Amino acid sequence: MHKVFVTGMGAISSIGSTIDEQLTALRQGQCGIKKARFFESRYAETLLFGEVPFSDEELLELNGVTNQNEFTRTTILALHAFKEAIGQAGIADLLKSDRTAFISSSTVGGMCYTDELYSDANLKGTPSNYVKAYEGSDHTVRITKMFEIGGIIDTINTACSSSANAIYLGARLIQSGRADRVIVGGSDSIAKYTVNGFNALMILSDRACKPFDENRNGLSLGEGAAYLVLESESACLNKPRIAELTGFGNSNDAFHPSTTSDTAIGPVLAMEYALKMTGLKPELIDYINAHGTGTINNDITETVALNTVFSKVPPYNSTKSYTGHTLAAAGSLEAIFALLSLRYNELYPSLRCETPIREQGSKPISAFSKKELQHVMSNSFGFGGNCTSLIFSKCS
Amino acid sequence: MFIKDFSAISPQLTFSEEFVNGDYKIHVNNTYTVFEPSYAETIPSALLRRMGKAVRMGIGAALPLIKRNEKLDGIVIGTANGGLENCINFLNQIIDYEEGTLTPTHFVQSTPNALAGQIALMSSNTGYNVTHVNGALAFENALLDAMMFLEVRDKKSSLLLGAVEEISNYNYNIDQLAGRYKVAKVSNDKLIQTKSNGSVCGEGATMFVVSNDSANALAEIIDLKQLNFPKESDVKNKLDQFLSDNGLTYAAIDLLVLGTNGDIQFDCWYDTVKSFFPLSTDAIYYKNLIGEYRTSSAFAVYLATQLLKGELQNHPGIEGQLTKIPKTILIYNQFEGVQHSLILLKDVEL
Repeated sequence: MHKVFVTGMGAISSIGSTIDEQLTALRQGQCGIKKARFFESRYAETLLFGEVPFSDEELLELNGVTNQNEFTRTTILALHAFKEAIGQAGIADLLKSDRTAFISSSTVGGMCYTDELYSDANLKGTPSNYVKAYEGSDHTVRITKMFEIGGIIDTINTACSSSANAIYLGARLIQSGRADRVIVGGSDSIAKYTVNGFNALMILSDRACKPFDENRNGLSLGEGAAYLVLESESACLNKPRIAELTGFGNSNDAFHPSTTSDTAIGPVLAMEYALKMTGLKPELIDYINAHGTGTINNDITETVALNTVFSKVPPYNSTKSYTGHTLAAAGSLEAIFALLSLRYNELYPSLRCETPIREQGSKPISAFSKKELQHVMSNSFGFGGNCTSLIFSKCS
Repeated sequence: MFIKDFSAISPQLTFSEEFVNGDYKIHVNNTYTVFEPSYAETIPSALLRRMGKAVRMGIGAALPLIKRNEKLDGIVIGTANGGLENCINFLNQIIDYEEGTLTPTHFVQSTPNALAGQIALMSSNTGYNVTHVNGALAFENALLDAMMFLEVRDKKSSLLLGAVEEISNYNYNIDQLAGRYKVAKVSNDKLIQTKSNGSVCGEGATMFVVSNDSANALAEIIDLKQLNFPKESDVKNKLDQFLSDNGLTYAAIDLLVLGTNGDIQFDCWYDTVKSFFPLSTDAIYYKNLIGEYRTSSAFAVYLATQLLKGELQNHPGIEGQLTKIPKTILIYNQFEGVQHSLILLKDVEL
């Protein structure tokens, strides 16, 4: 089986439009969850969001895209992060090869333009420019066309674990010899659709989310896109490797459509499967980027899961305390944050955890520190019981 | 990878024996809706009330397979759009009630992964679970995922693999605005020959149990390939390569199953592919049975499996040329010339 290496990363979120900007924000503890400037909704007045600080027009211009009619915000965010990732990996000339694959993900897709979709679906007024752009796969198809990507193309939607599964699938393409390089990740923009959905479930916080705090009261929604370039060993012989993807596990909690179980069976299995693939003992995991949404349910379940898998829980944080929950992008964005920790041997504090959850006796990282890291884990759990865990290791 | 079991809820009576026994349903409107069985005995009524059509028929097709087969190692689903009716119902509430206090049922039911999650929940399956939404390749991606899952596992491993798509007024409206449906009504027995713009709207849920184990298998899925935005001249090369990768010549294919849908703008792709094969190669169509939808190729695999079993010979719904029971079948489908797929199946050697 072929080994899988990370050779490129690209991301845009509320804390930066490049990897470097986001690294700076993590090091300085800067939070991107604020009053929204561009999102139009009644909740823009009452809730805080991890909004990417550019308008659609600015994002289009930033990316030199002129055919703006059919590019939704989800697509432009994806394009932005995609370009940074392929640039870092130096694979722009190899995209047309049938050995180059692209696996993306989105939950809201082109439905981010909720009002246009409403008019078109109900045949009100003249058709919008987006009638062919609402599907979850739309951003994938448009980027595939733009760069003439020659290999296997896929779009995943497993809710909040979507791009973690894009990484999983991309790794399998390389392991099995079906691709030499794969661009993997996801994109989601803030949308009335999602905000109202999470609001109806009563899991949105009225302030910036407080993951793993005893007094947490919900999540903050964010937006963004993040892509990694994965390559086989032979494809990246002569280039810098950021890390090796050594383990990945996928399971289903099989408990409830929108909450996780008390016993955390899904999260536990996902972590155990990933650990089993690496052959590592749990105590060799040096850091965990937790799913850590800040909802009452997730954070207690995840804490139970960590205590079940690890006799001594490694240092962990929730970087959603910086970016908000970026949904389909969260898995790849947080994998990148974990890779930054691994690369620079740095641990970033989980923000706003003032009173750690009492009953499980552990607390997230509270201050910036330097620590030699070898193996890091990133967790993603979603609605529908979808749980995925990833492990990255320093290249030997 | 072997198909061990299958079921389909479709615009034909495929959930019972009637379709296989020669029944052919005629649809006269441009939406070909499914014939749903009674779910009363399989789905608890409180759950059933809340389910949208995509989730309901997906579960309806999946549960008999789960019942008949040993514990499955996971669930892999392809759906371009999932529960669209619920999705737009929720959207309408957002706009009509000006983002007031809404109930979350529509939202939770609308997410494309709701089906795989609900099947896992109802069958207590904590195994592998993924939903692919890649448009007209969503089922093919699920199929590839299942192959990659099984090839690193032991012989006994098995998965539920399937696809679902529902018709809602909303997706019909949106695709109508996008010029994807015919303006004039056409009955399904005339669809393939209609040479006008657009096609008709179909739906369905198709489920398979797939495994590494050939014992009692119904068919073998040998390989698949996808093409995105190919030039017409690329197709021959890709097909040459696909066949030679699998040690086959054009003449070794007994039957082509083509996704021709009566849309004059894109049916030329099927004619081109067919022209590469000897005139004597059998070729049949399937969208006269079920209409056009993004994951319709799952139904083509259902049909191919029936044909490999020796069924559907002289069936009134099988259009095209079918002169013998096939042993090797190639399915070719494409959507608007953008997403293309080839799926190769064989009978199971005893």
